Amino acid sequence: MTEDMESLAGSVANKDMKTDASMAQKSTSMKAQERLTNTVLYILLIGMAVVWLLPFVIIVLTSVRSMGDLINNGVFAWPEQIVLANFERAWNIGNFSTYFRNSLILIILKVPLGIVIASLAAFPLAKMQFRFSGVIFVFFLIGLAIPIHVTLTPLLVMMKQLGIQGTLAALIPPYVVFGLPFQIFVMRGFFRTVPSELLEAARLDGATEWGNFWRILMPLSAPALATLFIIDALATWNELLMALVLISSNESRTVPVGLLQFQGQFSSQYTQLMAGVLISITPIILLYVFLQRYMVSGLTAGALKE
Amino acid sequence: MATALKSQAGAKRKATNRRPRFRFTPYLFLAPALIWYLCFLVYPMYQSLTISFMDWDGLSANIRFIGLENYRRIFFEDETARRALWNNILWTLGTLLIPTTIGLMLAVALDRKLRGRTVLRALFYGPAVLPLVAVGMIWAWMYNPQFGFINYVLKAVGLGFLARGWLSVFETALPATFLTAVWGGVGFPMVLYLAALQAIPQEQYEAAKMDGANGRQLFWKITLPWLREANVIVFSLAVINSFKTFDLIYTMTYGGPGRITQVLGTWMYFHAFQYYNAGYGAAIAWVIAIITLVMAIPYIQRMSRD
Repeated sequence: MTEDMESLAGSVANKDMKTDASMAQKSTSMKAQERLTNTVLYILLIGMAVVWLLPFVIIVLTSVRSMGDLINNGVFAWPEQIVLANFERAWNIGNFSTYFRNSLILIILKVPLGIVIASLAAFPLAKMQFRFSGVIFVFFLIGLAIPIHVTLTPLLVMMKQLGIQGTLAALIPPYVVFGLPFQIFVMRGFFRTVPSELLEAARLDGATEWGNFWRILMPLSAPALATLFIIDALATWNELLMALVLISSNESRTVPVGLLQFQGQFSSQYTQLMAGVLISITPIILLYVFLQRYMVSGLTAGALKE
Repeated sequence: MATALKSQAGAKRKATNRRPRFRFTPYLFLAPALIWYLCFLVYPMYQSLTISFMDWDGLSANIRFIGLENYRRIFFEDETARRALWNNILWTLGTLLIPTTIGLMLAVALDRKLRGRTVLRALFYGPAVLPLVAVGMIWAWMYNPQFGFINYVLKAVGLGFLARGWLSVFETALPATFLTAVWGGVGFPMVLYLAALQAIPQEQYEAAKMDGANGRQLFWKITLPWLREANVIVFSLAVINSFKTFDLIYTMTYGGPGRITQVLGTWMYFHAFQYYNAGYGAAIAWVIAIITLVMAIPYIQRMSRD
């Protein structure tokens, strides 16, 4: 510590004595050094990028060839012949059309419902002063740390009692509830950035709180709502454990549960297995390529506070 | 006169606003979220806590109160439960160490003005958006003993003696599964650290450079202190998510070979839904919940701070 201070003081004293020439010399050497650093970085980053990309290359190479070709030439060889029948067979035998349909229905029903409920709750937490607002906010935030595991058996019993156990409808209540904490947090943060004067002015013109919510806050929050929609749709598409417990029939399986089923059926038909995996991740990859910015910024907005 | 009246009325309104009186409107907006939260999260949690004190198969009316017996069994009798807890601890330590460090290094590297950094960021974050079932299946194929890419490479470079069934050998099953989690897990810390890095005022670096600080000093004296907030979030989420681990283990090893890769999440699932020990399963789930809730305290404190 003292050493640092001394060297710091020394450098301050030195700086005054330095000539322009030595400064210029230093800056060119710094530039050269920076170029070297960047080159080394590039090599490391590209090496890592290759490792990160490899699994994708492997599944593509596996899924477009015949089983015989794979056994004879190994997984990394260029396919003798591009075989697209794997995808057709995986799609049909693997029941992927059913799984896709189910996951999509779930997203369409669940995501808007959850986001509206969360936004309604976020409004008073952001814009109204009332006694328990802090307590209620923390109460919701605790949900971020609650593992889904701790609700499984009671939810299964509850859904049996409601007569919807095993169907897609059984997944909607728990999926909504586990989305709420994050969504309330993000929407509350976003609503707080909307100037209160806007709401105040509308109130003076006779607008109700309900009207303010739908006519001012929600339209202004379109970017946050879009981000939440994408993140939540993704989480719904990917969720396994709850669906595994609450869904029993083949007719109601979502994509992850269906994939597991498919893995069981085709355990040694590697080419078709990877074709199925590729089918199941293609929509997400496309979504990611086009909407990457929203997805990533939303996640950081949720986790990091300004 | 009129203005005087108005200002008087205004003062009066302000006074009533300041006085803490019960307001109904906030609760109307909060009601859907609160009711949903109580019905499908708090109530099931309470029920599973009750179940965890019971000896119950999860189906029949045959239910018996046994107090803390289930919890005693977890810690003092059931060797697999202790193995599972230990695996979770190893998984947590590994997650704190490896993907977090790689994520930080990537963030520092990709914060520089490198060409192609957007593509690289997207690539390293990419696996994080895929369903873990698909990720697990992809890597199970990479690790395949006969045709998998990893053994293929080992044989190709003359290290064939190292080739093995990575997921079916006791020593390598858990590390191999964990490496899969690393592939999917560097993206999140990376984007969080990137966001935090971008918030650092550049003048601090400029000033330090003027004073002759070198790259290492800049990192330890400026960058790292600025990342404290991000660290809390990354570390907390790493711990919470590590104890929730389920999908990868279930997809890749199913807890095997033997029971060597069981984690609390899978062991809870096996008991509650396959061995018909709903009481014991609920107790394991509550052990997970207590750990994650305690570990989440600093995280929730930060999130709820204004």
